[in-house]
Amino acid sequence: MFPSLRTFCLIASTACLSAVPAFAKDSVPDWVRAAMTQPQPKFRAEDPAAVLLDETVLTVGSDGRATEHHRHVVKILRPAGRDEGVVAVPFDNDRKLLSLHIWSVGPDGHEYAMKDSEIAEFGLPGEGGQLYVDERYKVANPPGRDPGGIVAYEYEVRSRPYVNEETWFFQSELPGVKQSFTLQLPAGYTYRAVWAHHDKTEAVDLERQRWRWEMNDMPAIDLEDVPLHPSTVAIAGRMTVHYGPSGTDQLGTWQGVGQWYNDLSRARLAASPEIAAKAAELTQGKTDFFDKAEAIGEFAQKGIRYFVIERGIGGDQPHPAADIFRNRYGDCKDKATLLASMLSTVGIHATWVLVDTRRGAVDPSAPSTYGNHAIAAIEIPAGYNSPKLRSVVTAKSGKRYLIFDPTWEKTAFGQLEWNLQGGYGILVEAGASEVIALPVLKPESNTLYRTASFQLQPDGELKGSVVVKSFGDLSESSRDMYSRQTLKEQTDNRNRTLGHDLSTFTVSDVKVENVEALNKELTTSYTLDAEHFARSMGALLMVRPRVLGTDGIYVDRKPRSMPIDLKEAKLEKDEFSIELPPGYAVDELPDPVKLDLGFAAYESSTTLSGNKLHYTRTYTVREVTLPADRYADVQKLAATIDADEKNSAVFKKQ
Amino acid sequence: MIQISRNRLCLFALFPLFAPMFAHAQFIEPTPAELSMTSIPQEPGAAAVYLFREETTDDAHHVFTVYVRLKVLTEKGKEFGNVSIPFERSEGSMTVDSISGRTIHADGTVIPMKDKAYEKLVDKIGGAKLVEKVFSLPSVEVGSIIEYRYKLHSDDGYVTSPKWYIQSDLYTLKAHYNWRPTSEEIVSRQGGHERVGSAIAWMPILPKGAVLKPTESPGIGGNAPQRIFDLSLADIPPAPKEEFMPPMESFTYRVIFYYAGATSTQEFWKDEGKYWSKVHDQFIGPNKGVKEAVQQLVLPADTQEQKLQKIYAAVMALENTDFTREHTTAEERAAGLKQVKTTDDILARKRGSSDQLANLFIAMARAAGMKAYAMSVVNRSRSLFAPALMDASQLDDDIAIVNVDGKERYFDPGQRFCDFGHLAWKHTMAGGLRQTDKEAQMFQTPGESYKAASVKRIADLKMDEHGEVTGKVDLSYTGDPALSWRQEALRGDDTSLNKDLRESLEAMMPSGLEIRVTGVEAIADYDKPLVVHYTVSGVAGNATGKRLLAPSDIFVASAKPTFSVKQRTTPVYFHYASVTRDAVRISFPPAIRVESAPAKDTFMYKKLAAYDVSTEQTATNITVRRNLTIGEILFDAADFPELLSFYNKLETKDQEPVVLVHADAGAGAKPGR
Repeated sequence: MFPSLRTFCLIASTACLSAVPAFAKDSVPDWVRAAMTQPQPKFRAEDPAAVLLDETVLTVGSDGRATEHHRHVVKILRPAGRDEGVVAVPFDNDRKLLSLHIWSVGPDGHEYAMKDSEIAEFGLPGEGGQLYVDERYKVANPPGRDPGGIVAYEYEVRSRPYVNEETWFFQSELPGVKQSFTLQLPAGYTYRAVWAHHDKTEAVDLERQRWRWEMNDMPAIDLEDVPLHPSTVAIAGRMTVHYGPSGTDQLGTWQGVGQWYNDLSRARLAASPEIAAKAAELTQGKTDFFDKAEAIGEFAQKGIRYFVIERGIGGDQPHPAADIFRNRYGDCKDKATLLASMLSTVGIHATWVLVDTRRGAVDPSAPSTYGNHAIAAIEIPAGYNSPKLRSVVTAKSGKRYLIFDPTWEKTAFGQLEWNLQGGYGILVEAGASEVIALPVLKPESNTLYRTASFQLQPDGELKGSVVVKSFGDLSESSRDMYSRQTLKEQTDNRNRTLGHDLSTFTVSDVKVENVEALNKELTTSYTLDAEHFARSMGALLMVRPRVLGTDGIYVDRKPRSMPIDLKEAKLEKDEFSIELPPGYAVDELPDPVKLDLGFAAYESSTTLSGNKLHYTRTYTVREVTLPADRYADVQKLAATIDADEKNSAVFKKQ
Repeated sequence: MIQISRNRLCLFALFPLFAPMFAHAQFIEPTPAELSMTSIPQEPGAAAVYLFREETTDDAHHVFTVYVRLKVLTEKGKEFGNVSIPFERSEGSMTVDSISGRTIHADGTVIPMKDKAYEKLVDKIGGAKLVEKVFSLPSVEVGSIIEYRYKLHSDDGYVTSPKWYIQSDLYTLKAHYNWRPTSEEIVSRQGGHERVGSAIAWMPILPKGAVLKPTESPGIGGNAPQRIFDLSLADIPPAPKEEFMPPMESFTYRVIFYYAGATSTQEFWKDEGKYWSKVHDQFIGPNKGVKEAVQQLVLPADTQEQKLQKIYAAVMALENTDFTREHTTAEERAAGLKQVKTTDDILARKRGSSDQLANLFIAMARAAGMKAYAMSVVNRSRSLFAPALMDASQLDDDIAIVNVDGKERYFDPGQRFCDFGHLAWKHTMAGGLRQTDKEAQMFQTPGESYKAASVKRIADLKMDEHGEVTGKVDLSYTGDPALSWRQEALRGDDTSLNKDLRESLEAMMPSGLEIRVTGVEAIADYDKPLVVHYTVSGVAGNATGKRLLAPSDIFVASAKPTFSVKQRTTPVYFHYASVTRDAVRISFPPAIRVESAPAKDTFMYKKLAAYDVSTEQTATNITVRRNLTIGEILFDAADFPELLSFYNKLETKDQEPVVLVHADAGAGAKPGR
């Protein structure tokens, strides 16, 4: 069969592109010139660079394998934008880079074409536990990368064979002038486009199975100076195109995405005899669901070392459970896989939940595989209830699941770490897969209680004992510190933290309990001796009732358009008593504070009982995300906390 | 990498004879004490401890062997179960093989490593390719002993003199190092300087009592005797890590060997200095272009000082590509420029790197008839000069020494906007090589007085009855603080500079103040103080009910303690001596009066640091003046308690507030919010 005229044209066009190096002079192609000379909007002074053109053409072959052809033109606007002109094109063993050409135009108008020999290749650094990942980057520093200069590149890359979706990111930290995504499907194929964080835009039908979406004059998302901002990926617009033969079941639905992952990974759950034996050993003598699941959950959490070995499909597909168990290492999906495999041998069903650690990145209205993390959903037996089950979701099927992340090493079994709460995930249950809302846990699941009893000396020195109890995410950094740092590092860290509130102090008799007992309060107690804590100003003695612990929120005074991310629901309480030296009488005490804004509440009081000053405060955060129009309330909360933390009681010498 | 010059065939003929020595590497069986170990008293809370670490280098066989036995003590220690071996794949490059390992659990269970090592690309730039062999020990848990070994082979004809970095991040119970150098003649290259010879030199930095004793074994079968360097050590603490620590990373316990081509450090530096000076002079000239430019720039009637100031200003006006971007070969070619060979080429380009510009300044000074010398120094922000380290690559940056009216003065034209006649702090008290009229010599640059680096902070604020302030703030910088901001400006633009300046003041002042930069003076006038003007508004005081507590010095209102530790083992090291002068005036309405203000105070730390604070009051304002002078950059660890006491005292004093009260206080008036 002869190719159609349109197909023929496309082939000819591709051939021309591949031929560029054969007559590569230092002149840029016409499409670059057109992008440079198009009318440009007025950019903000803060924009380091602007994307003049971003053009993607995804061509799906009759075998379902796609090829992506990409053109990109960026203009450097400021010195800080030089980095935006550095070209970095990713590829790996399954995602072959077929061609790459780079051009640039200096501010003086001189045009350059880079040679292949000028393009470097980098592997991913082995940071964050990435022992081996086959992803690599072609990297180039084009000439003329100065303000006013232009960098353009064009590449063609073969998509992974087992993937049938492509996501178009049309909003970023840079403004975008002209952007488009073109889809070319073979006969008999169809597609479904879904939109995240952006209204749907209709495609232009170019006929013959070809469609184009355009997105022009897109403003930058600049979060650099925005306090309490969500992740860029939680607000940046993107479109995902799912494609497949006409009649493909559940194309572009959460069910379809879950089915795809299920088909890719389900076989990896197969339990070896060694896995079954270990699960039996861990659950021996246990009859309660939670106790059994906790024993296995903690094994996957603590007994399996986290690091990544990924080659090609290994970016999505876990290793076989037996291998993970034998080597006692794996990445997030491996840990979730081994957990589900072990649980299956003791009669508990569990599966994967695909999530993103950046809250809001997964958009429930835009089914896709987009995400960066895998955790586990453990089915709770019907009728079973326990107060220890804190992170529970109910699926459409009516089944309840305990959501647990075995990768997060300091999260108690039954809880979920803060950054996943309030987000969404894909529950992988073959044909019953769905998107689920991950719960925001109650503030009582994430607590910090400080209590202290002090004696104030006549010279202003404060002596006493402090007990800090924490649970949940608020205990994570301390648990991490006590389990991973040397004694000296722990001391330095503690001194740095206390240095926020005290200038000259000594800490002694430090005792720490329950560092590894994640389902118990981490308890730290110590003796504190703080010189010059109270300040004598003439006959006055100034005492800050809030001796230690800072709950301040940084806010600015600018108008707010971005949603607000309060990070975590929590409950913090302080109770301090200070025994005053003889000869002083109260002159004034701070007024009590009580503020309840719904999403958060703050109250404090300072009282004098005999010669003891008592300070109590309670700070509760109930919600983790707020719309921008609640910013005034957040500012009010911040001002209230700030004023209360600085408040002083004043005493006069009698 | 060093190349063997001849007798290669003889050398390699020996290989099969000795190869079996390495073929049956055995692991060491753990002792009960090692198996049951949970911590080490020498380093409480340590993540892991090296039970034994061994590095052996055999030049005859081009083999470098590493053997590690490590006990995992905490969760963090499990990370040592992942091992990465970087090596280069290019001429004379290496290969890695014979990787083997095992994990031994605390109960004695042995889990051999079965998974293969992966080879991972780090980078490929031009013909050079850097890769890593990575592998992971199996089933590593807290309490495990991990044990592995591997070999690195260099290509035929190449040998590498070992570098034994003895001190690491972990405590080491026992270590063994061994080198069997080749007796062949060696060609060593460093920066284009080639040396031939078989002499071996080394720089040892070792714990007390440790001695490196070279020995010699008799030759076998007519071969030359074998020199052997062998070192066994025990109880090596981890490298110190403390705040305000001198740049000691180059001075941890180590032995650095060289196929030196020199028998002493004096000989090495003499020879190296000769070569270094020649290369510099070839680049500096001056040649025709520089001479002509200087002729047009200076007048015969100018004094030497005037000439040099004009030359310095001309060099300062050029683009320093270390702060912008180095131009590529393609750009140079497009501009019709050939390879940079002399300072004429830098002058023609009107841009250059820091070193190129420093050398251009020297060339121009010479062209103006002055004696000008190059000096290469070790950048003090990175390290200190170690003459015993026979390695010229430790020299980082070029500065200029010019004889002005019979007196040698120091210039830093490579540091754009550095004051005329001064050095950037990283080049003060810095050792290196300098030119003289005769030969190159090792030398150290002088330090700078605290007076050369000053910060003056003035706030003139009006406070209302609610603690809200509005007003102006002026910050004035000279010396290194000014240089830092000026160079920050070079890296960015007005937008980024203003943002950084604003954030810098925000970090000093009470939280919640609105701060705006309203002007920056003399950002490029290096001979003038850099002045930044701000406006501030917002709540600066805190109401207690009937009083307002205002920070006495608003510039230290958010300051945290300088030191977070009570004891230290290393000296305290500041980058430069400095003086900071603050003057804060707060005006308030007649309804408010000062109830209490910090008392005047003055104290010193020896004669090396001084602090004073004083106040002046009128009926409607209070002015607080605070001065802090740090006159020294290095304080001995033994003196730390006294220095800490000085800082504690001043930081406590800094936090004393000004107490404002309503003029008719006592009648229940509340100036607060």
